[in-house]
Order: sequence, then C-alpha cells, then structure tokens
Amino acid sequence: MENTEVYRGKTPLIKRIAGWFINLPIRIGAFFKRVGLWFAKRPSAIAAKLREIKSSPKPVKASMCIMGLGQLMQKQIVKGILFLLMFGGYVTYMAVTGGEAMYGFFSLGVVPPNPWLGIKGDNSVIMMLLGTLAFIITGFFIAVHLANIRDARRTYEYVSRGNPTPDFRKSLASMFDKYFYVTALVLPIIGVFVFNILPIIFMVFLAFTDYSGNVVLSGSLVSWIGFGNFAQLFSTGLMGSTFFKILGWNVLWAVMSTALNYFGGLAIALLLNKKIVKGKKIWRAFPVLAFAVPGFITLLAFKFMFSNQGPINYYIEQFGGTGKLFFGIDSKWSARIIGWLVNAWLSVPTSMLLATGILANLNPDLYEAARIDGASAWVQFKKITLPFVIFATTPVLIGQFMGNFNNFGVFYFLRGGIICDGYFLASDTDLLINWLYSLSIDQQYYSFGAAISIIIFIIASVISLTVYVHSPSYSKEDMYR
Amino acid sequence: MKGLRKIIALTVCGVLTAPLAACNGGGMRGKYAEQSLEALYDKFEGDLERGTSERPITLHVLENDTAKSSGYLKVLLDGFNAKYKDYNIVAIDANQDQYSNLADDGPYGYGPDVLYQANDMLMKYCDGKHITPLPIGKLDAYAQLPELAKSTYTYKYKNAEYFMGVGLNIQAGMLYYRKDLLPENWQDEWDDNNNGVPDMVEDMRKLYRWSKIRNSNNSSEYGFMQSFDDPYFSCGYLFTYGAYVFGNDNTNTKDIGFDNDNARLGAGIILQLANVMNSGCVDNSITVARESEFASGAYFAVPDTQDMYGTLNSELVAVYRKKGMSSSEARAAAEENIVAVPMPDLPVSGDLTETEGQTFKSISMGGINGYAISSYTKYPRASLAFLNYATSYEMVLKRNEYLGIAPARRDCNKDCTVQADVAHSLYSMVEAGRISIMPSVYGVERIWTPLTTAFTDIATDPYRNSNKKYTRSDGKCNYAALDALLKSVNRNIYDSIYTIK
Amino acid sequence: MSRISKQDRIINKNIKKSRIGKRFTAKLFFEYFFTYFALLAIAFIFAFPVLWLVLASFSESGSMYTFKGFFPSSYSVETFRKLFTDTEMYNYPRWFGNTLIIAVGSSLLGSLLVILTAYVMSRFRFGARKGIMKTTMILGMFPSFMAMTAVYLLMTQFGMINNLFGLILIYSSGAPMGYLTQKGFFDTISNSMYEAARIDGASNFKVFIKITLPIAMPMIVYTLITSFTWPWSDFILPKLLLKNKDLYTVAVGLMSLGDTEFARFAAGSVFIAVPIIVLYFGLVKYMVNGLTAGAVKE
Repeated sequence: MENTEVYRGKTPLIKRIAGWFINLPIRIGAFFKRVGLWFAKRPSAIAAKLREIKSSPKPVKASMCIMGLGQLMQKQIVKGILFLLMFGGYVTYMAVTGGEAMYGFFSLGVVPPNPWLGIKGDNSVIMMLLGTLAFIITGFFIAVHLANIRDARRTYEYVSRGNPTPDFRKSLASMFDKYFYVTALVLPIIGVFVFNILPIIFMVFLAFTDYSGNVVLSGSLVSWIGFGNFAQLFSTGLMGSTFFKILGWNVLWAVMSTALNYFGGLAIALLLNKKIVKGKKIWRAFPVLAFAVPGFITLLAFKFMFSNQGPINYYIEQFGGTGKLFFGIDSKWSARIIGWLVNAWLSVPTSMLLATGILANLNPDLYEAARIDGASAWVQFKKITLPFVIFATTPVLIGQFMGNFNNFGVFYFLRGGIICDGYFLASDTDLLINWLYSLSIDQQYYSFGAAISIIIFIIASVISLTVYVHSPSYSKEDMYR
Repeated sequence: MKGLRKIIALTVCGVLTAPLAACNGGGMRGKYAEQSLEALYDKFEGDLERGTSERPITLHVLENDTAKSSGYLKVLLDGFNAKYKDYNIVAIDANQDQYSNLADDGPYGYGPDVLYQANDMLMKYCDGKHITPLPIGKLDAYAQLPELAKSTYTYKYKNAEYFMGVGLNIQAGMLYYRKDLLPENWQDEWDDNNNGVPDMVEDMRKLYRWSKIRNSNNSSEYGFMQSFDDPYFSCGYLFTYGAYVFGNDNTNTKDIGFDNDNARLGAGIILQLANVMNSGCVDNSITVARESEFASGAYFAVPDTQDMYGTLNSELVAVYRKKGMSSSEARAAAEENIVAVPMPDLPVSGDLTETEGQTFKSISMGGINGYAISSYTKYPRASLAFLNYATSYEMVLKRNEYLGIAPARRDCNKDCTVQADVAHSLYSMVEAGRISIMPSVYGVERIWTPLTTAFTDIATDPYRNSNKKYTRSDGKCNYAALDALLKSVNRNIYDSIYTIK
Repeated sequence: MSRISKQDRIINKNIKKSRIGKRFTAKLFFEYFFTYFALLAIAFIFAFPVLWLVLASFSESGSMYTFKGFFPSSYSVETFRKLFTDTEMYNYPRWFGNTLIIAVGSSLLGSLLVILTAYVMSRFRFGARKGIMKTTMILGMFPSFMAMTAVYLLMTQFGMINNLFGLILIYSSGAPMGYLTQKGFFDTISNSMYEAARIDGASNFKVFIKITLPIAMPMIVYTLITSFTWPWSDFILPKLLLKNKDLYTVAVGLMSLGDTEFARFAAGSVFIAVPIIVLYFGLVKYMVNGLTAGAVKE
C-alpha cells in the first residue's frame, strides 16, 4: 500500500506547475547570474587551463595537436592509426566540403539558379542543411578529440606507474564491456541525430528566415530575417487573436479528450473485470477491432457517415426529421463533439488495454478489506482503484495529453478546408497543429510555420516536462527495485 | 537539470547567432549580374540527341490519369517510340501523381521531362524558370492555336515575352443533361423560342422552375444539381455579373475583384439554386454522386468537365444494360441521351423567379491543358520532338477519340468526331469570351479556401432554421449581406497573400 | 506491494464464490442485465464502423451515394477481383508488397534499436543518461511537419527518393525515441539477476544476449507489433518520399483513389486491416503486458 501513500504525500500537480511558473523569474535571474560569473571567472580559468596544458607530458601534448599521435608515441599502433584516420577524415571533410558548407550556412548562397540556361545556382535550404550538418559533425569531432586526449593521458599515467602498454585487442574488449552503453547507443543515437535532431534544428533555424512557397516556386534565394516571423505572430490583429483563440480551444480539446479516452478505457476495463462477465476475451476483441483499421481510413469513414447526404442523415430523414449539417460552417459545437467522440473511438481501446493490465496488478485484498468496512462500490472506486491507476499511469497520461494536444488527423479529415469569421485561415475546430499545417503546407509559409512550431513546442514542453520531472515515475524510478 | 540547461543554452546561442549571421551572401548577392538570355534557345538547335541500343535516351512523360486509364497514353508512347526508333529514343510514363509539383521535384532530378498539366499549374512554374520557353518557329501546332491558347501560355519577363506551353484541349464547366428525362411534351411547353433546344437548358430561370416541378413530383428526383463548395464551377455565376479574380488581366494580385460590379447577384443565383436542391449542395456530396445519380435518373442535369464524359457515359450504359438493353443498344442510347450545352443564360435582374426580362450569356471558369518541357531535362531536342508529336493533328484527333476532349487546335476542333458539338461550342465560347481562364500568377492557390468557405456559407442558408444570414424574411435574397460576404472573400484572399511575407 | 500467497488467494476465491452463489436477487439480476447491455452496446459501437467498411467493399457501384443508408443498393465481389487484377491505374498488389517490405524492415531494425536503447537506459547509469532522457522527451513534442521539409531535403542529398530502404531507415531511426515503454519493462527486472551473471564473469554483451533477450521476449513481440503498425498505416512520409506510383504504399495509394472509387477504397482498407487484426488477436496478451509494463511501477 506504500504506493498510494507516496502519491498522497506529494504536493498536488497543479500547485507544482504553478510553483514552477512563480519561480521562473528567480530562475531566469539565477541563470544570468551564473552566466556572468562564468565570464568573470574566465581569465583565471583560462590561465589554469594553459598551465595544465603546459605541464602535460609529451604524448598528451602530441594528442592535443594531432589526434592519435600520442597513442602512436606510446606504441598503441592500432588505436593510434584509428584515431589518426578519424582525424584525417575530418580534416579532409572540412577541406573538401565542410568548410564551404559552414560558410554557406551564413551566406545562404550568392548565385540564384537559372534552369533556363542550365545554371544550377545555389540552393539556400540545402546549404543551410549541409551547414548545420557540418556544425554537428564538428561537435562530434571535438567530443572524440577530447576523448583522445583523455585516453592519451590515461595510458601515460598507467604506463608510468610501471604497467605494460595495454594491448589494443584487450583494451578494445574491456572498452566494449565497460562502455557497453556507448557501443549499444552509437547506432540509435546516430539515427536519431540524422533523422530527428538535425531536421528539428534545421526547422528552428528556418524560423529565422523568409523561406516560403514563393521562394520554392520562383527559385530565388533564402535570407536570414531574424525575429520577423515571431513579431508577425505576436503583432496585434487577426494573427495574434487567432493564435490565442485556437490555443484556448486546443487546451480544452486536449484536456477533455484525454479525460474522455482515459475514463472511457477505464470504464470498459472495469466492466470487463466484473466477475459476472463471461467470455472476457471475446468482449475485449471488439474494441481491439478499432485498432486494426488504420486511423485515416476510419476517419474518412466517419466523415462520410456524418456527411450531409450520408447514412446518418438518411435515417434521420427516413424517420421524418430534417437532416443536419454536422460539419457545416455554422456547426462549431456539433463538429467539436463529434470530434471528441470519434477520437474516443480511436483511442479508448488503447486505454482499455492499459487499464486492463493495471487492474490485474491491483491487490484484491484491498477491496476485501474495504467491503468488510462497508464501503460502497463507488467509494471503493474513488479510494482504491482511481488513485492507484492514476498513480501508475502518470507518464502515459502525459503522453496521451501530448498526443491529443497535437492531434492532427481528426479535424483534418473530418472538417478540413474551411475558414471561419474572426480566424486567420483557420476554422473554429482547428487545433494549433491544423493551423500550422494549413499555413505551412497548404499556404506554404514554411518559415512562419516553423516559428509557430517553436511556440507550440515551448508550450507543450513546459507543461509536460514539469509534470514529468515531478512525477513519481521519474524521481523514484529506482525505488521499487 | 544540467543537461537541460545545456540544451537551453545551446538553443539561446543558436537563436542569438541567427540574426547576427544575417549577412546573406556577404553583400555578394547585389553584385551578382544575371547572364543574358540570348542563348536561351540554343539548346533546341542542332540534330536530335541519339541514344545507343544498350542505353537509349529515356524521356519521362507526365500525363493525366484519364489518358492512362483510357489507353490513350499507350497509343501515344508506342507511336512516338516507333517513329524515333532509329534514334534510340524511348518515351515512358513518368508514373507520378498527375498533380505533382515540378518545383519540388525538378531541381533534385526527380521530375518528368515533358509534362501535361492544366495551364494554371504549368504557368506557376514560370517564375522559378522550372519549365523552359519554347522556340515558336519549331512548334508545328503553333499556327493552329487560337488567340486565347497563345495568350494563356505567354510569360512576360523583363520586358520580353516567352511562349511556355502548347495548349492541347479546352476545358470548362458545361451543363450535361439527360435528353430522355425531358418532359414528353417539351417541344410544346418548353421551347418558347422554337429553336429545337429545350428552354430549361438555355435559360437558368426555366431550369430553376423545372427543378422545382421535378422535385415536387417525386421528392427523390431533382432537376439541376451542383455542389457549390467547388469554386471551379461556382465562380462562373460571379463572373457572369462582372466579378474577376485579379485585376490587370489576372496579374495584379493586390486587386481582387470577387465583389466587382453586380457580383452579389451571382451570389444570389447560388442561394436561389441551393433552395431547389438538397443538403448535398453544401458539401461535396453531389460532386461525388453526380455521375451515378445522373445515370440513375435522380439528377436531370449537372455541371461537369469534358474529361468526365467517359464516366458519365459508362455509368449510364451500365444502367441501360440493367434495364435489359443489349450492349450496343445501351451505348447508342447513352450517346444519344447525354447532351452537353454551355451553362444556361442568367437573368440580368438576378431573380430566377421572374418570367420575363433580359438575360446574360453565362461565363464559365475554364482552362487550357497543355504540354510543357521541364528546364531540367537532359534532352531538350528529344523532348521538343515528343511535344510536337503529341500535339500533332493525328494525335490530337486520337486523343479526342479516346477521351472526348475538346481540341484547342483549330483544324482538329473542326474535324474531331467524338463529342464534336461540345468541342465546337467550347470553341465558340472561347471566341465569344465566355470562358474565364484561371489566373496563373503566384497567389492563385490562395483563392480556393476563402471561396470554398463563402460558397459553402451561401449554400448553407436554406438549411438554417432561424437567423438566416442571406435570406430576407420575405424569402428574397439579402443582397447587402451577400455583398459583404464577397468583400470579406476579397479581404481573406488579400490577407492570405500579403499578411505574412 | 505486498504479495499474497497462492493459498490465500484460493481461500479468497472460495469465499467470493460462496457469496455469489448465495442468492439470486433482483439486484443481481439488474446487475447482470445492465452489464451485458453495456457490453453489447460497446461491442456494437466498436464493431459497427468496421463491419460497415466490409459491407461497403461488397458494393457493386463505386460511389457511396448510391447506398441506401448504410447498405449498398446491390452487392458483388467484383471490387475485390478488380482490386487485384485491374492494376493498370491502381496497382494494389504492388502497393501491398511495398508496404509489407517497409513495415517488416522497419519493424525488425526499429525493434532492435529500441530494445538496445531501452535496455541500456534502464540498466546502466552514466553521465549523459538523464540528459538523453530529457532530450528524447523534448524532441517528441516537436510538431513534425516542418521537420518533414528537412527530411525531404536530406533524402534528396542521400539520393534516397523513390527508395523503399530510405523509408525503412527513417522509420527505424525514429523508433528509439519511443523507448520509454520498453525501459519501463526492463526497470521491473531485478538487478540481482544481472549481478549474478556479472560475477560469473559474463560480459555485458553476453548478459544482453543470454539473459536480457530471453526475459524480454514478450516485450520484443510487443515492440515488433507496434513498430510494424506505424509504417503500415502512415501516409505522410511515403507520400513525400515516393514519387513513383509503382513504389506507393497502400495508404498513399488508397488516398490517391478517385471520388468514385469508394468501394475499392473500402476493399483496400479491409485488406490492409487483415494483417493487423491477425497480429493483434494472436498477440493481444503481449499487447496488454507490454502496455502495462511501460506504465506500472510495481
């Protein structure tokens, strides 16, 4: 029972989030103070570093200049050559394309393309991308270089203590074992870097340029424009008011749909958990069906079901009613409600499976004790089931909240392509992500879209990071081992 | 928190350096002088490129889906390949999405060599020089092209004019109706001017009345049906009353004219027509259903484009076959009973309930689809040879035979056999200025969403129970509100082009 | 959480049994009635749209507006025949093959990377660990549309447009970002088991192969399934990177169908759902365990 104790003992979530914001100015102040101190300490720190370099033994100094040289001097031939090869590779890369790529990152090209004459010209975005890549590669190189100096020093100290020079194969084996986590993470990290981090960094840079569909079509060059896109967004007027209107709806949408999906799933799981239910597997199979059909297909099917001449209206008219325009231009709330329900249809099965698993872990003794105390079913649910389930699933809940906050599909498929009064190129069911899509993909304001992405990201990450860092599953992750 | 702080610090650094680094080519850009364009046509000079039998020259041709499904593309490619066998030039299907964007793919080498698309798509590529100007002297079809096809594909750049593509067929929304669904006594009751054409397909007021009659006889049957959410078909009503897209011949995107002149009357026409349809006119239900419902007899008339004739025809043939006709009977009957005419005339007063009064000839939005050559092709001369082959007299007639298109070439238009009436009337519409060509400037892609929204809004009005926005309490159109709506369309389009730069 | 012995559980069970068996009251009847009523309602709500798609795929006419309510006006199996034989315009069998290659490839490669990452993040303590955890958490929150532009540009530079392997690379590279569920699973495995093996002199690599992998089998199955389904139904990325129609995946292909091809759309959808249904029903046990492991801290 200690779990729920822990949960209850903590300050409420809202208070903690509020606290984060209240402390924000102090934190920012502290940050700048630290930066100031850092600069103040520089002269003496640099002097100390220089002394340290001066007093370093020869092989270490050699490794500082050329990677791998120190290792060679200490007769670690294979390792030395490997480092040397890396060094050579980096230098060649910088000489051949890297240096140019870095310069290109700042200039974003000089010669506009002229395909009529077969002049390829400069492609600004490619230059930006390759420039970013060059900086990342340089970062990696610096890290490897520092490791190389550390290694040279370690070997020197090891040998000078009278030990024999470590055999490369042996040291490789021990390295592999000791630093298993490094070896294991190399591939995943490279992959994430190239296909996830690099594009995101690129996107952040993009927000400070004037890249748009017009640039693509007219084949002209991109320019750095600083904070222009952000200024546009927060300038008063339609743009700013649209942003805040959508943000408000977006939060409402995310909170409501997270709650709906979560409690919907929990309710079904509790129902299936009842002792009187026979054939649990079969009953559970129906919600799982919803999993099987890809989301875009079910969304299109629902759109058709609710369309003006679709089946739902057909039956309404058959029974003498008048058809409804469920996703019509005036149908703000009917579209929103259908959105919630359809989203629940798509997401409740996951919540149900999750809740099923968690309920299986719940200690039945608690209920027995509660029953003896005479607690009603509702009290049992409120005092035992709910705290435990919520405690156990905080991270998942955050994940679901984020997923719903950025839920692109529902309204894109159900009610795309219209704009409403008082909104800048958005409808009253659009979420920020839909607005972002319409601005950046449909209207091709790429850089502006990037600026909005950054803002969405800041809002989303502040909320969820705060919750996550303060959740028991982060701070107490080793507690139950 | 240390890692996080590092990330924040890095981000801050990045953010701070970005504007600092705003040197944009270090001032070199201004000094860069553009090369002269004199040598522009040199690539078309000289002999045709030659491949070898092991490594033939491959031309990637982008065609539209109907050309492919009807089998025309195969005929075209086979014919060309046979003719240029000695040069080892092979044209193949580019096999890409028919709407794929050359500006996205071309610079990276993934675009087609020769492409067939609508004029607004093709001319959009001009600013980026993604398609190459064509040497007029080497184009076999040029002399036969009507003025509209020439002007549509002319691109003005630095005080010079360039010819960018060869228009192949004219497309415009026309009214397709079922002859066999006319009332039996139409010649007595519905042909006041005795010209042998039913009045309901000549005059929108009559069509409006006929729609009402048909629907009151049987509530699942309708007269004229249209989804108004599609601006391609709905804009015509506004154009007829004086609206335009952009000022200065569709080139000045600062001057947006959807409210020009009496455009509100056109908006009123949409509102009145929506009253005699069903709620399918608000979303795309009718667009999706039109071919099958037209065949089943539920709809008497729909607006459609020429490339959909094949679908209309085959759906109707299927219905006739089910009724027990033989395959040849059914085909003959479908041929006979599907008739296309220009969109009916509209009343000057804008009131569809009146019985007397002057009318306007209606104007439709349209386009001229054509061929252009990518600037990124490695084989400009072979591409030009293909373009000439595909726009030749024989091949355009073949295209008409397979697809029922209305040829833009003067000689082909005269001699074509399939849907010849349609082709002729489209041609006369072109010459009478009754086709408004879609603009080709940057910014045209921003007009669709605001227009769709406005047309949806108007068509919704009959389905509003209380507080109708555009209908007065006496059932007439509220023209002041419609005018305000069209003004807001202009504003929305302007905003979407100019708010963010 | 205190664990109860097996014996206690049996006793508990018997007590409950005897209670239920005591009397069949009116109250109990209503409980039965409402429970099964709710179950039937839930079953209907979830099964109906799927069944309707199946029904629609047997429609004779392509257009969905010829339906009478939910029911096609006439039925035929023609659509299914056309789906597999009429491949001139819409080469469904080809799309299906492409999707299978991409999904299986990404599933295998992606799962390997995820399991490795999760295991390391759970088992080892090192300097960059918390930093990596936070970074992945943050990265997951970026709206990814704009990043798509960069991915496209990157792939043009690598020459991987129109390349199925390029897609596999992107999907599986992104997979380690979602390592948290798997890490949760490894967190529940007691450290003592690893320590015993380490004392016996086994290397970390050996421990991973000989001990971790066999224990993690249910988790691996779960990972394989989930990393299979994403590429299986995604259409944004393939649409961006596959220009050639012969390389389309089913999702892109279905989205490219014309308005009058609704029956074909439904038939194609039914087929794309089949492998996933089979996977889920065969392995639903793993799904529950996997999902739970990622969330529950016991």
